[in-house]
Amino acid sequence: MTDLIASMAASASGMAAQSARMRLVGENIANADTPGYHRKLVSFESLAAGTVAAGRVTLDQTQPARHFDPSHPMADAAGYYDGSNVNLVLEIADAREAQRGYEANLRLFDQARQMSSAALTLLRR
Amino acid sequence: MSFDLTILQMASGLAQHSGARLSLVSQNIANADTPGYTARDLPDFGAAWASSQSVQLSATRAGHFGAVAGQPGTRATESAAFGSMSPNGNNVAIEDQMMRAAAIRQEHELALGVWSKSLDMLRTAIGKRR
Repeated sequence: MTDLIASMAASASGMAAQSARMRLVGENIANADTPGYHRKLVSFESLAAGTVAAGRVTLDQTQPARHFDPSHPMADAAGYYDGSNVNLVLEIADAREAQRGYEANLRLFDQARQMSSAALTLLRR
Repeated sequence: MSFDLTILQMASGLAQHSGARLSLVSQNIANADTPGYTARDLPDFGAAWASSQSVQLSATRAGHFGAVAGQPGTRATESAAFGSMSPNGNNVAIEDQMMRAAAIRQEHELALGVWSKSLDMLRTAIGKRR
């Protein structure tokens, strides 16, 4: 029974980590047009009990795209301003992967719940 | 009546084994995007049962023969699907883990079924109505 509880804990931590990742994807997409924005990245790290957690958030140091628009308030003398370095295709792919991971964790959580309730029904007979 | 309850031990052993395996599979799925993580699994119940039945040295300390450091009996799974090793050193294939989870559910249902049927037989033998 403790194994099944541990399994639910691992799945729940996986879901939490994937939703943290999804939140960063949302923030990146929301800021896709913010001048000077660097996209946020997170790497997962596994903890002692087999659970997982989202690690430190880092910034993607890729050079942001330069846009030519002399009328822009942040444009420099040459008429260019820094956009963000968010790549929408990359963000969507990341979101898909997070969704897939979340669903797999959810399915395993449900299976652990069903297995423990099946074991508990034996007591009710 | 030659009914020496080994079957009940076996059923409960199988249920425990499937629970322990499910815990490892859940950890694998949770760590499916962790860099450098290696998927783990337990050996088959048949192998574990056979080794527990034969006479062997018991390992009660880390220095004894047969003692394994860390989690006993777990082993790294060979990555079943070609290309499941990703560039960050993670070899968890979610599809493979899902297959294992389905097998574990079958194992667990088998164990619970055998357990309850054996108890039914015992009840019948002592003349109780079910």
